[in-house]
Amino acid sequence: MVHLGQYIPRSSIIHGLDPRVKLAAAVVLSIVILKGDIFTQCWITAFLILLVPLSRLNLVHMRNAFRPVLFFLGLLFFLHLLFTEGTPIPPFPPWRVTLTYEGLHTGAFVIWQFLLLILSASILTMSTSPGELISGMERLLRPLRRLGVPSHDLAMMISMALRFVPTILDELEKIREAQTARGACFKTGPVLRRMTATASLLIPLVHSIMRRADALAMAMESRGYNRGMRTYLRELQMDRKDYAAMLIFACAMGLELIGRCVLNNGFG
Amino acid sequence: MIRVENLSYTYDGDETPVLKEISLEIPRGIHLGIIGPNGCGKTTLVRHLNGLLPTTRGDVRVEEMSTKDPSDLYRIRQLVGMVFQNPDNQIVGMTVREDVAFGPGNLKLPAEEIVHRVQEALARVGLASYGDKAPHALSNGEKQLVCMAGVLAMKPRYIILDEPTAYLDPSGRKRVLEVVQKLHARGITIVHITHHMDEIVGADRILVMDRGRIIMNERPAVVFSNVAMLKKVGLDVPEVTELMWRLERMGNPVRTDILTLDEACRELNAHLTHAKPQSHKG
Repeated sequence: MVHLGQYIPRSSIIHGLDPRVKLAAAVVLSIVILKGDIFTQCWITAFLILLVPLSRLNLVHMRNAFRPVLFFLGLLFFLHLLFTEGTPIPPFPPWRVTLTYEGLHTGAFVIWQFLLLILSASILTMSTSPGELISGMERLLRPLRRLGVPSHDLAMMISMALRFVPTILDELEKIREAQTARGACFKTGPVLRRMTATASLLIPLVHSIMRRADALAMAMESRGYNRGMRTYLRELQMDRKDYAAMLIFACAMGLELIGRCVLNNGFG
Repeated sequence: MIRVENLSYTYDGDETPVLKEISLEIPRGIHLGIIGPNGCGKTTLVRHLNGLLPTTRGDVRVEEMSTKDPSDLYRIRQLVGMVFQNPDNQIVGMTVREDVAFGPGNLKLPAEEIVHRVQEALARVGLASYGDKAPHALSNGEKQLVCMAGVLAMKPRYIILDEPTAYLDPSGRKRVLEVVQKLHARGITIVHITHHMDEIVGADRILVMDRGRIIMNERPAVVFSNVAMLKKVGLDVPEVTELMWRLERMGNPVRTDILTLDEACRELNAHLTHAKPQSHKG
Protein backbone atom coordinates (compact mmCIF):
# COMPACT_ATOMS: atom_id res chain seq x y z
CA MET A 1 0.00 0.00 0.00
CA VAL A 2 1.42 3.33 -1.04
CA HIS A 3 1.38 6.15 1.47
CA LEU A 4 0.63 9.48 -0.05
CA GLY A 5 2.08 12.61 1.45
CA GLN A 6 2.87 12.93 5.10
CA TYR A 7 -0.60 13.67 6.37
CA ILE A 8 -1.30 12.19 9.79
CA PRO A 9 -5.02 12.29 10.56
CA ARG A 10 -5.66 13.61 14.09
CA SER A 11 -8.17 15.88 15.68
CA SER A 12 -6.08 18.72 17.01
CA ILE A 13 -6.31 22.50 17.12
CA ILE A 14 -3.72 22.76 14.38
CA HIS A 15 -5.45 20.14 12.20
CA GLY A 16 -8.68 22.11 12.53
CA LEU A 17 -7.25 25.41 11.33
CA ASP A 18 -8.08 26.74 7.90
CA PRO A 19 -5.39 25.56 5.46
CA ARG A 20 -4.96 29.12 4.21
CA VAL A 21 -3.90 30.29 7.68
CA LYS A 22 -1.40 27.44 7.96
CA LEU A 23 -0.04 27.95 4.45
CA ALA A 24 0.39 31.69 4.91
CA ALA A 25 2.02 31.20 8.31
CA ALA A 26 4.43 28.62 6.90
CA VAL A 27 5.44 30.97 4.09
CA VAL A 28 5.99 33.92 6.45
CA LEU A 29 7.90 31.70 8.91
CA SER A 30 10.18 30.47 6.13
CA ILE A 31 11.07 34.03 5.17
CA VAL A 32 11.70 34.98 8.81
CA ILE A 33 13.82 31.86 9.36
CA LEU A 34 15.98 32.60 6.32
CA LYS A 35 16.38 36.30 7.20
CA GLY A 36 16.62 35.95 10.96
CA ASP A 37 19.50 36.06 13.43
CA ILE A 38 20.25 33.85 16.41
CA PHE A 39 17.55 35.38 18.64
CA THR A 40 14.91 34.82 15.98
CA GLN A 41 16.05 31.23 15.57
CA CYS A 42 15.70 30.64 19.30
CA TRP A 43 12.16 31.83 19.63
CA ILE A 44 11.03 30.18 16.38
CA THR A 45 12.51 26.92 17.62
CA ALA A 46 10.54 27.25 20.83
CA PHE A 47 7.40 28.19 18.87
CA LEU A 48 7.65 25.21 16.49
CA ILE A 49 8.44 22.76 19.28
CA LEU A 50 5.32 24.01 21.03
CA LEU A 51 3.30 23.34 17.86
CA VAL A 52 4.30 19.66 17.75
CA PRO A 53 2.26 18.55 20.79
CA LEU A 54 -0.47 21.05 19.83
CA SER A 55 -0.83 19.12 16.53
CA ARG A 56 -0.87 15.86 18.49
CA LEU A 57 2.27 14.74 16.70
CA ASN A 58 5.17 13.00 18.43
CA LEU A 59 8.93 12.59 18.16
CA VAL A 60 8.65 9.54 15.92
CA HIS A 61 6.78 11.59 13.31
CA MET A 62 9.45 14.27 13.50
CA ARG A 63 12.27 11.76 13.21
CA ASN A 64 10.62 10.37 10.06
CA ALA A 65 10.43 13.87 8.66
CA PHE A 66 14.11 14.60 9.28
CA ARG A 67 15.57 11.26 8.30
CA PRO A 68 15.59 11.68 4.49
CA VAL A 69 17.53 14.97 4.68
CA LEU A 70 20.12 14.08 7.35
CA PHE A 71 22.80 13.23 4.79
CA PHE A 72 22.23 16.46 2.94
CA LEU A 73 22.39 18.46 6.18
CA GLY A 74 25.65 16.75 7.17
CA LEU A 75 27.15 17.57 3.80
CA LEU A 76 26.03 21.17 4.10
CA PHE A 77 27.64 21.44 7.53
CA PHE A 78 30.99 20.06 6.35
CA LEU A 79 31.08 22.27 3.29
CA HIS A 80 30.62 25.33 5.49
CA LEU A 81 33.18 24.02 7.96
CA LEU A 82 35.78 23.48 5.26
CA PHE A 83 35.28 26.47 3.02
CA THR A 84 34.70 29.38 5.40
CA GLU A 85 37.66 31.67 5.96
CA GLY A 86 38.52 33.04 9.39
CA THR A 87 40.31 32.16 12.58
CA PRO A 88 41.66 28.62 12.28
CA ILE A 89 40.83 26.06 14.91
CA PRO A 90 44.13 24.52 16.17
CA PRO A 91 44.38 21.40 13.97
CA PHE A 92 45.24 17.93 15.07
CA PRO A 93 48.65 17.02 13.69
CA PRO A 94 47.67 14.75 10.79
CA TRP A 95 44.98 17.06 9.36
CA ARG A 96 45.74 18.77 6.05
CA VAL A 97 42.78 21.14 6.05
CA THR A 98 42.19 24.15 8.21
CA LEU A 99 38.91 24.39 10.01
CA THR A 100 37.75 27.78 11.23
CA TYR A 101 35.60 28.94 14.13
CA GLU A 102 33.56 30.96 11.64
CA GLY A 103 32.99 27.84 9.58
CA LEU A 104 31.81 25.93 12.62
CA HIS A 105 29.50 28.79 13.47
CA THR A 106 27.94 29.31 10.00
CA GLY A 107 27.68 25.55 9.43
CA ALA A 108 25.77 25.07 12.65
CA PHE A 109 23.61 28.10 11.98
CA VAL A 110 22.72 26.99 8.44
CA ILE A 111 21.67 23.50 9.46
CA TRP A 112 19.69 24.94 12.31
CA GLN A 113 17.87 27.10 9.74
CA PHE A 114 17.22 24.09 7.55
CA LEU A 115 15.97 22.00 10.45
CA LEU A 116 13.53 24.76 11.30
CA LEU A 117 12.32 25.00 7.69
CA ILE A 118 11.77 21.25 7.55
CA LEU A 119 10.07 21.28 10.92
CA SER A 120 7.61 24.00 9.92
CA ALA A 121 6.91 22.38 6.54
CA SER A 122 6.39 19.00 8.21
CA ILE A 123 3.95 20.38 10.76
CA LEU A 124 2.04 21.94 7.85
CA THR A 125 1.88 18.79 5.71
CA MET A 126 1.31 16.44 8.64
CA SER A 127 -1.59 18.46 9.97
CA THR A 128 -3.21 19.29 6.60
CA SER A 129 -4.54 16.69 4.17
CA PRO A 130 -3.39 17.01 0.53
CA GLY A 131 -6.94 17.92 -0.46
CA GLU A 132 -7.07 20.75 2.07
CA LEU A 133 -3.61 21.96 1.05
CA ILE A 134 -4.67 22.10 -2.59
CA SER A 135 -7.91 23.93 -1.89
CA GLY A 136 -5.99 26.32 0.37
CA MET A 137 -3.46 27.02 -2.37
CA GLU A 138 -6.21 27.39 -4.93
CA ARG A 139 -8.04 29.86 -2.72
CA LEU A 140 -4.91 31.89 -2.00
CA LEU A 141 -4.04 32.02 -5.71
CA ARG A 142 -7.57 33.02 -6.77
CA PRO A 143 -6.88 36.78 -6.69
CA LEU A 144 -4.07 36.17 -9.17
CA ARG A 145 -6.54 34.92 -11.76
CA ARG A 146 -6.86 38.45 -13.06
CA LEU A 147 -3.18 38.22 -13.98
CA GLY A 148 -3.84 35.02 -15.90
CA VAL A 149 -2.92 32.47 -13.21
CA PRO A 150 -5.34 29.56 -13.80
CA SER A 151 -5.77 28.67 -10.13
CA HIS A 152 -8.64 26.16 -10.67
CA ASP A 153 -6.78 24.29 -13.36
CA LEU A 154 -3.57 24.25 -11.33
CA ALA A 155 -5.42 22.79 -8.35
CA MET A 156 -7.07 20.19 -10.60
CA MET A 157 -3.70 19.22 -12.08
CA ILE A 158 -1.99 18.82 -8.74
CA SER A 159 -4.78 16.78 -7.21
CA MET A 160 -4.98 14.50 -10.23
CA ALA A 161 -1.24 13.99 -10.23
CA LEU A 162 -1.45 12.94 -6.57
CA ARG A 163 -4.45 10.71 -7.29
CA PHE A 164 -2.56 8.85 -10.02
CA VAL A 165 0.75 8.27 -8.20
CA PRO A 166 -0.36 4.97 -6.62
CA THR A 167 -2.14 3.83 -9.79
CA ILE A 168 0.97 4.39 -11.88
CA LEU A 169 3.22 2.72 -9.30
CA ASP A 170 0.93 -0.33 -9.45
CA GLU A 171 1.15 -0.26 -13.21
CA LEU A 172 4.95 -0.14 -13.07
CA GLU A 173 4.98 -3.12 -10.73
CA LYS A 174 2.73 -5.08 -13.10
CA ILE A 175 4.97 -4.35 -16.08
CA ARG A 176 8.03 -5.33 -14.04
CA GLU A 177 6.42 -8.61 -13.03
CA ALA A 178 5.32 -9.33 -16.58
CA GLN A 179 8.86 -8.80 -17.85
CA THR A 180 10.42 -10.76 -14.97
CA ALA A 181 8.10 -13.65 -15.79
CA ARG A 182 9.55 -13.66 -19.28
CA GLY A 183 13.14 -13.73 -18.08
CA ALA A 184 14.05 -10.05 -17.66
CA CYS A 185 16.36 -9.32 -14.75
CA PHE A 186 16.28 -6.09 -12.78
CA LYS A 187 18.09 -7.02 -9.58
CA THR A 188 21.29 -8.76 -10.62
CA GLY A 189 23.90 -8.45 -13.36
CA PRO A 190 26.15 -5.62 -14.48
CA VAL A 191 25.02 -2.09 -13.70
CA LEU A 192 24.73 -1.15 -17.36
CA ARG A 193 22.46 -4.05 -18.14
CA ARG A 194 20.28 -3.30 -15.14
CA MET A 195 19.95 0.26 -16.37
CA THR A 196 18.87 -0.77 -19.87
CA ALA A 197 16.48 -3.29 -18.33
CA THR A 198 14.92 -0.46 -16.33
CA ALA A 199 14.59 1.60 -19.50
CA SER A 200 12.58 -1.23 -21.01
CA LEU A 201 10.07 -0.69 -18.21
CA LEU A 202 9.63 2.96 -19.03
CA ILE A 203 8.46 2.62 -22.62
CA PRO A 204 5.42 0.46 -21.85
CA LEU A 205 4.74 2.61 -18.79
CA VAL A 206 4.71 5.86 -20.77
CA HIS A 207 2.56 4.20 -23.40
CA SER A 208 0.03 3.11 -20.82
CA ILE A 209 0.01 6.54 -19.18
CA MET A 210 -0.78 8.13 -22.54
CA ARG A 211 -3.67 5.75 -23.09
CA ARG A 212 -4.94 6.42 -19.60
CA ALA A 213 -4.73 10.17 -20.13
CA ASP A 214 -6.82 9.82 -23.27
CA ALA A 215 -9.55 7.80 -21.55
CA LEU A 216 -9.45 10.08 -18.52
CA ALA A 217 -9.88 13.21 -20.63
CA MET A 218 -12.96 11.66 -22.19
CA ALA A 219 -14.41 10.66 -18.81
CA MET A 220 -13.80 14.17 -17.44
CA GLU A 221 -15.40 15.79 -20.44
CA SER A 222 -18.42 13.55 -20.12
CA ARG A 223 -18.78 14.69 -16.51
CA GLY A 224 -19.01 18.27 -17.67
CA TYR A 225 -15.44 19.40 -16.99
CA ASN A 226 -14.47 22.70 -18.46
CA ARG A 227 -11.45 24.85 -17.84
CA GLY A 228 -11.86 27.71 -15.43
CA MET A 229 -14.42 28.42 -12.75
CA ARG A 230 -15.87 25.50 -10.80
CA THR A 231 -17.13 24.93 -7.28
CA TYR A 232 -15.89 22.60 -4.57
CA LEU A 233 -17.14 20.11 -2.04
CA ARG A 234 -15.91 22.34 0.75
CA GLU A 235 -15.71 26.04 0.32
CA LEU A 236 -13.14 27.20 2.85
CA GLN A 237 -14.58 29.31 5.59
CA MET A 238 -12.58 31.18 8.21
CA ASP A 239 -14.08 31.08 11.67
CA ARG A 240 -13.20 32.52 15.06
CA LYS A 241 -10.32 30.17 15.85
CA ASP A 242 -8.74 30.89 12.45
CA TYR A 243 -8.84 34.63 13.08
CA ALA A 244 -7.49 34.08 16.61
CA ALA A 245 -4.60 32.00 15.26
CA MET A 246 -3.89 34.64 12.64
CA LEU A 247 -3.91 37.38 15.27
CA ILE A 248 -1.52 35.50 17.56
CA PHE A 249 0.82 34.78 14.69
CA ALA A 250 0.70 38.37 13.45
CA CYS A 251 1.47 39.66 16.98
CA ALA A 252 4.47 37.35 17.23
CA MET A 253 5.73 38.53 13.87
CA GLY A 254 5.14 42.15 14.87
CA LEU A 255 7.15 41.65 18.06
CA GLU A 256 9.91 40.08 16.01
CA LEU A 257 9.97 43.08 13.69
CA ILE A 258 9.98 45.60 16.54
CA GLY A 259 12.58 43.62 18.42
CA ARG A 260 14.86 43.64 15.41
CA CYS A 261 14.54 47.39 14.93
CA VAL A 262 15.28 48.06 18.59
CA LEU A 263 18.27 45.68 18.60
CA ASN A 264 19.67 47.09 15.37
CA ASN A 265 19.35 50.66 16.67
CA GLY A 266 20.68 49.75 20.09
CA PHE A 267 23.81 48.00 18.84
CA GLY A 268 24.16 49.58 15.43
CA MET B 1 -36.31 10.96 -25.26
CA ILE B 2 -33.06 10.74 -27.20
CA ARG B 3 -33.57 10.80 -30.94
CA VAL B 4 -30.87 9.79 -33.41
CA GLU B 5 -31.52 10.53 -37.07
CA ASN B 6 -29.46 9.30 -40.03
CA LEU B 7 -26.28 9.38 -37.98
CA SER B 8 -23.11 8.46 -39.84
CA TYR B 9 -19.59 8.77 -38.53
CA THR B 10 -16.12 8.19 -39.89
CA TYR B 11 -13.04 8.46 -37.66
CA ASP B 12 -10.27 10.75 -38.89
CA GLY B 13 -7.98 8.90 -41.25
CA ASP B 14 -10.41 6.00 -41.79
CA GLU B 15 -12.07 5.35 -45.12
CA THR B 16 -15.08 3.26 -44.17
CA PRO B 17 -17.64 4.78 -41.83
CA VAL B 18 -18.08 3.22 -38.37
CA LEU B 19 -21.74 4.23 -38.26
CA LYS B 20 -23.94 4.10 -41.31
CA GLU B 21 -27.19 6.06 -41.36
CA ILE B 22 -28.34 5.10 -37.88
CA SER B 23 -31.80 6.13 -36.76
CA LEU B 24 -33.01 5.33 -33.29
CA GLU B 25 -35.35 6.53 -30.58
CA ILE B 26 -34.61 5.98 -26.89
CA PRO B 27 -37.75 6.79 -24.88
CA ARG B 28 -37.53 7.88 -21.24
CA GLY B 29 -37.48 5.13 -18.63
CA ILE B 30 -36.45 2.31 -20.95
CA HIS B 31 -33.67 -0.20 -20.29
CA LEU B 32 -31.95 -0.62 -23.63
CA GLY B 33 -29.27 -3.24 -24.17
CA ILE B 34 -26.80 -2.88 -27.04
CA ILE B 35 -24.90 -5.91 -28.33
CA GLY B 36 -22.74 -6.50 -31.35
CA PRO B 37 -19.35 -7.90 -32.30
CA ASN B 38 -16.19 -5.88 -31.62
CA GLY B 39 -15.81 -2.90 -33.92
CA CYS B 40 -19.49 -2.80 -34.88
CA GLY B 41 -19.85 0.81 -33.70
CA LYS B 42 -21.58 0.38 -30.31
CA THR B 43 -19.18 2.64 -28.44
CA THR B 44 -19.07 5.16 -31.28
CA LEU B 45 -22.86 5.34 -31.26
CA VAL B 46 -23.22 5.95 -27.52
CA ARG B 47 -20.44 8.55 -27.52
CA HIS B 48 -22.69 10.60 -29.76
CA LEU B 49 -25.49 10.51 -27.25
CA ASN B 50 -23.85 13.04 -24.90
CA GLY B 51 -21.81 14.83 -27.51
CA LEU B 52 -18.44 13.29 -26.65
CA LEU B 53 -18.05 12.76 -30.38
CA PRO B 54 -19.17 15.63 -32.60
CA THR B 55 -22.14 14.89 -34.83
CA THR B 56 -20.76 15.31 -38.34
CA ARG B 57 -23.55 13.74 -40.39
CA GLY B 58 -27.07 13.27 -39.17
CA ASP B 59 -28.60 14.55 -35.98
CA VAL B 60 -28.69 13.64 -32.28
CA ARG B 61 -31.30 15.30 -30.07
CA VAL B 62 -31.55 14.91 -26.30
CA GLU B 63 -34.94 16.18 -25.11
CA GLU B 64 -35.06 18.45 -28.16
CA MET B 65 -31.56 19.82 -27.54
CA SER B 66 -29.08 19.22 -30.32
CA THR B 67 -25.60 17.90 -29.48
CA LYS B 68 -24.36 20.16 -32.29
CA ASP B 69 -25.14 23.24 -30.26
CA PRO B 70 -22.22 24.03 -27.93
CA SER B 71 -24.46 26.00 -25.58
CA ASP B 72 -26.67 22.92 -25.01
CA LEU B 73 -23.76 20.53 -24.58
CA TYR B 74 -23.30 21.42 -20.93
CA ARG B 75 -26.94 20.61 -20.08
CA ILE B 76 -26.80 17.45 -22.20
CA ARG B 77 -23.77 16.18 -20.27
CA GLN B 78 -25.67 16.72 -17.04
CA LEU B 79 -28.71 14.81 -18.37
CA VAL B 80 -26.78 11.99 -20.01
CA GLY B 81 -24.18 10.43 -17.72
CA MET B 82 -21.68 7.88 -18.93
CA VAL B 83 -19.82 5.08 -17.19
CA PHE B 84 -16.84 3.61 -19.04
CA GLN B 85 -15.07 0.24 -19.01
CA ASN B 86 -12.05 0.91 -16.87
CA PRO B 87 -12.94 2.46 -13.50
CA ASP B 88 -9.33 3.53 -12.91
CA ASN B 89 -9.46 5.86 -15.89
CA GLN B 90 -12.54 7.71 -14.69
CA ILE B 91 -11.73 8.55 -11.09
CA VAL B 92 -10.13 11.96 -10.68
CA GLY B 93 -10.46 12.64 -6.94
CA MET B 94 -7.96 11.84 -4.19
CA THR B 95 -10.80 10.53 -2.05
CA VAL B 96 -14.09 8.89 -2.97
CA ARG B 97 -16.03 11.92 -1.77
CA GLU B 98 -13.95 14.37 -3.79
CA ASP B 99 -14.37 12.24 -6.87
CA VAL B 100 -18.15 12.09 -6.59
CA ALA B 101 -18.08 15.87 -6.07
CA PHE B 102 -16.28 16.40 -9.37
CA GLY B 103 -19.41 16.43 -11.56
CA PRO B 104 -21.49 18.69 -9.27
CA GLY B 105 -18.44 20.97 -9.00
CA ASN B 106 -18.39 21.23 -12.78
CA LEU B 107 -22.07 22.19 -12.60
CA LYS B 108 -20.93 25.02 -10.29
CA LEU B 109 -23.35 24.01 -7.52
CA PRO B 110 -22.92 25.59 -4.07
CA ALA B 111 -20.90 23.60 -1.50
CA GLU B 112 -23.88 22.56 0.69
CA GLU B 113 -25.71 21.18 -2.33
CA ILE B 114 -22.59 19.25 -3.39
CA VAL B 115 -22.18 17.74 0.07
CA HIS B 116 -25.83 16.67 0.04
CA ARG B 117 -25.68 15.17 -3.45
CA VAL B 118 -22.44 13.32 -2.78
CA GLN B 119 -23.84 11.66 0.32
CA GLU B 120 -27.07 10.76 -1.46
CA ALA B 121 -25.27 9.32 -4.49
CA LEU B 122 -22.89 7.26 -2.34
CA ALA B 123 -25.81 5.89 -0.35
CA ARG B 124 -27.62 4.91 -3.54
CA VAL B 125 -24.73 2.75 -4.73
CA GLY B 126 -24.23 1.30 -1.25
CA LEU B 127 -20.95 3.06 -0.43
CA ALA B 128 -22.26 5.52 2.15
CA SER B 129 -19.34 4.94 4.53
CA TYR B 130 -16.64 5.08 1.84
CA GLY B 131 -16.39 8.87 1.52
CA ASP B 132 -12.91 9.29 3.00
CA LYS B 133 -11.29 6.27 1.35
CA ALA B 134 -8.63 6.65 -1.31
CA PRO B 135 -9.83 5.28 -4.66
CA HIS B 136 -6.80 3.04 -5.17
CA ALA B 137 -7.61 1.22 -1.93
CA LEU B 138 -10.91 -0.06 -3.38
CA SER B 139 -11.67 -3.16 -5.44
CA ASN B 140 -12.48 -2.68 -9.13
CA GLY B 141 -16.16 -3.33 -8.44
CA GLU B 142 -16.22 -0.66 -5.74
CA LYS B 143 -14.35 1.75 -8.02
CA GLN B 144 -16.97 1.25 -10.70
CA LEU B 145 -19.68 1.95 -8.11
CA VAL B 146 -17.83 5.18 -7.24
CA CYS B 147 -17.95 6.10 -10.94
CA MET B 148 -21.68 5.44 -10.97
CA ALA B 149 -22.12 7.60 -7.87
CA GLY B 150 -20.14 10.31 -9.66
CA VAL B 151 -22.63 10.20 -12.51
CA LEU B 152 -25.64 10.01 -10.18
CA ALA B 153 -24.54 13.12 -8.28
CA MET B 154 -25.22 15.09 -11.46
CA LYS B 155 -28.88 13.91 -11.35
CA PRO B 156 -28.98 12.49 -14.87
CA ARG B 157 -32.07 11.19 -16.66
CA TYR B 158 -30.07 8.83 -18.82
CA ILE B 159 -27.11 6.68 -17.84
CA ILE B 160 -25.00 5.10 -20.55
CA LEU B 161 -22.99 2.09 -19.45
CA ASP B 162 -20.22 1.17 -21.88
CA GLU B 163 -19.28 -2.37 -20.84
CA PRO B 164 -19.13 -1.40 -17.16
CA THR B 165 -18.41 -4.96 -16.01
CA ALA B 166 -15.54 -5.74 -18.40
CA TYR B 167 -12.86 -5.24 -15.73
CA LEU B 168 -14.78 -6.68 -12.79
CA ASP B 169 -14.73 -10.00 -10.96
CA PRO B 170 -18.03 -11.88 -10.57
CA SER B 171 -18.94 -10.33 -7.20
CA GLY B 172 -18.14 -6.80 -8.39
CA ARG B 173 -20.16 -7.45 -11.52
CA LYS B 174 -23.12 -8.58 -9.46
CA ARG B 175 -23.04 -5.45 -7.30
CA VAL B 176 -22.83 -3.14 -10.29
CA LEU B 177 -25.73 -4.90 -12.03
CA GLU B 178 -27.86 -4.70 -8.88
CA VAL B 179 -27.30 -0.95 -8.75
CA VAL B 180 -28.18 -0.67 -12.45
CA GLN B 181 -31.47 -2.48 -11.74
CA LYS B 182 -32.21 -0.19 -8.82
CA LEU B 183 -31.57 2.96 -10.83
CA HIS B 184 -33.76 1.73 -13.65
CA ALA B 185 -36.51 0.98 -11.15
CA ARG B 186 -36.24 4.60 -10.00
CA GLY B 187 -37.00 5.79 -13.50
CA ILE B 188 -33.54 6.46 -14.90
CA THR B 189 -33.15 5.46 -18.54
CA ILE B 190 -30.38 2.91 -18.99
CA VAL B 191 -28.41 2.32 -22.17
CA HIS B 192 -26.23 -0.71 -21.54
CA ILE B 193 -23.54 -2.01 -23.88
CA THR B 194 -22.30 -5.48 -22.97
CA HIS B 195 -20.76 -8.70 -24.18
CA HIS B 196 -22.50 -10.71 -21.46
CA MET B 197 -25.93 -11.58 -22.82
CA ASP B 198 -27.24 -12.61 -19.40
CA GLU B 199 -26.78 -9.02 -18.18
CA ILE B 200 -29.50 -7.73 -20.49
CA VAL B 201 -32.07 -10.53 -20.66
CA GLY B 202 -34.18 -8.33 -18.37
CA ALA B 203 -33.87 -5.27 -20.62
CA ASP B 204 -36.91 -3.73 -22.30
CA ARG B 205 -35.32 -3.75 -25.72
CA ILE B 206 -32.11 -4.97 -27.27
CA LEU B 207 -30.31 -3.34 -30.15
CA VAL B 208 -28.15 -5.66 -32.24
CA MET B 209 -25.47 -3.88 -34.23
CA ASP B 210 -23.22 -5.18 -36.96
CA ARG B 211 -20.78 -3.27 -39.15
CA GLY B 212 -22.16 0.15 -38.36
CA ARG B 213 -25.84 -0.68 -38.73
CA ILE B 214 -28.66 -1.64 -36.41
CA ILE B 215 -29.76 -5.06 -37.60
CA MET B 216 -32.36 -5.61 -34.92
CA ASN B 217 -34.23 -3.58 -32.30
CA GLU B 218 -36.61 -5.88 -30.45
CA ARG B 219 -37.62 -7.34 -27.10
CA PRO B 220 -34.98 -9.73 -25.63
CA ALA B 221 -37.14 -12.81 -26.21
CA VAL B 222 -37.44 -12.01 -29.91
CA VAL B 223 -33.75 -11.13 -30.28
CA PHE B 224 -32.41 -14.19 -28.53
CA SER B 225 -34.76 -16.66 -30.19
CA ASN B 226 -33.11 -15.58 -33.43
CA VAL B 227 -30.13 -17.78 -32.58
CA ALA B 228 -29.03 -18.41 -36.16
CA MET B 229 -28.81 -14.70 -36.92
CA LEU B 230 -26.89 -13.92 -33.72
CA LYS B 231 -24.43 -16.71 -34.43
CA LYS B 232 -23.94 -15.39 -37.95
CA VAL B 233 -22.71 -12.01 -36.65
CA GLY B 234 -20.54 -13.77 -34.09
CA LEU B 235 -22.60 -13.25 -30.93
CA ASP B 236 -23.51 -15.67 -28.19
CA VAL B 237 -26.97 -16.25 -26.83
CA PRO B 238 -27.74 -17.05 -23.18
CA GLU B 239 -26.95 -20.70 -22.52
CA VAL B 240 -30.53 -21.70 -21.67
CA THR B 241 -31.77 -20.10 -24.88
CA GLU B 242 -29.22 -22.05 -26.88
CA LEU B 243 -30.22 -25.26 -25.10
CA MET B 244 -33.86 -24.78 -26.05
CA TRP B 245 -32.86 -23.86 -29.59
CA ARG B 246 -30.83 -27.05 -29.96
CA LEU B 247 -33.60 -29.19 -28.50
CA GLU B 248 -36.02 -27.65 -30.95
CA ARG B 249 -33.69 -28.39 -33.86
CA MET B 250 -33.52 -32.03 -32.71
CA GLY B 251 -37.22 -32.22 -33.31
CA ASN B 252 -38.67 -31.39 -29.89
CA PRO B 253 -41.57 -28.99 -30.03
CA VAL B 254 -40.23 -26.62 -27.30
CA ARG B 255 -40.43 -22.84 -27.19
CA THR B 256 -37.17 -21.08 -28.20
CA ASP B 257 -37.93 -17.61 -26.83
CA ILE B 258 -36.76 -18.59 -23.36
CA LEU B 259 -34.20 -16.47 -21.52
CA THR B 260 -33.99 -17.62 -17.91
CA LEU B 261 -33.35 -20.88 -16.11
CA ASP B 262 -36.77 -20.67 -14.40
CA GLU B 263 -38.64 -20.39 -17.68
CA ALA B 264 -36.61 -23.23 -19.17
CA CYS B 265 -37.39 -25.48 -16.17
CA ARG B 266 -41.09 -24.81 -16.48
CA GLU B 267 -41.11 -25.45 -20.23
CA LEU B 268 -39.08 -28.67 -19.99
CA ASN B 269 -41.07 -29.89 -17.02
CA ALA B 270 -44.28 -29.45 -18.97
CA HIS B 271 -42.84 -31.50 -21.81
CA LEU B 272 -41.40 -34.23 -19.62
CA THR B 273 -44.60 -34.77 -17.62
CA HIS B 274 -46.45 -34.79 -20.89
CA ALA B 275 -44.05 -37.39 -22.28
CA LYS B 276 -44.11 -39.73 -19.24
CA PRO B 277 -47.24 -41.81 -20.00
CA GLN B 278 -45.92 -42.40 -23.51
CA SER B 279 -42.64 -43.85 -22.22
CA HIS B 280 -44.63 -46.18 -19.89
CA LYS B 281 -46.59 -47.53 -22.78
CA GLY B 282 -43.43 -48.07 -24.80
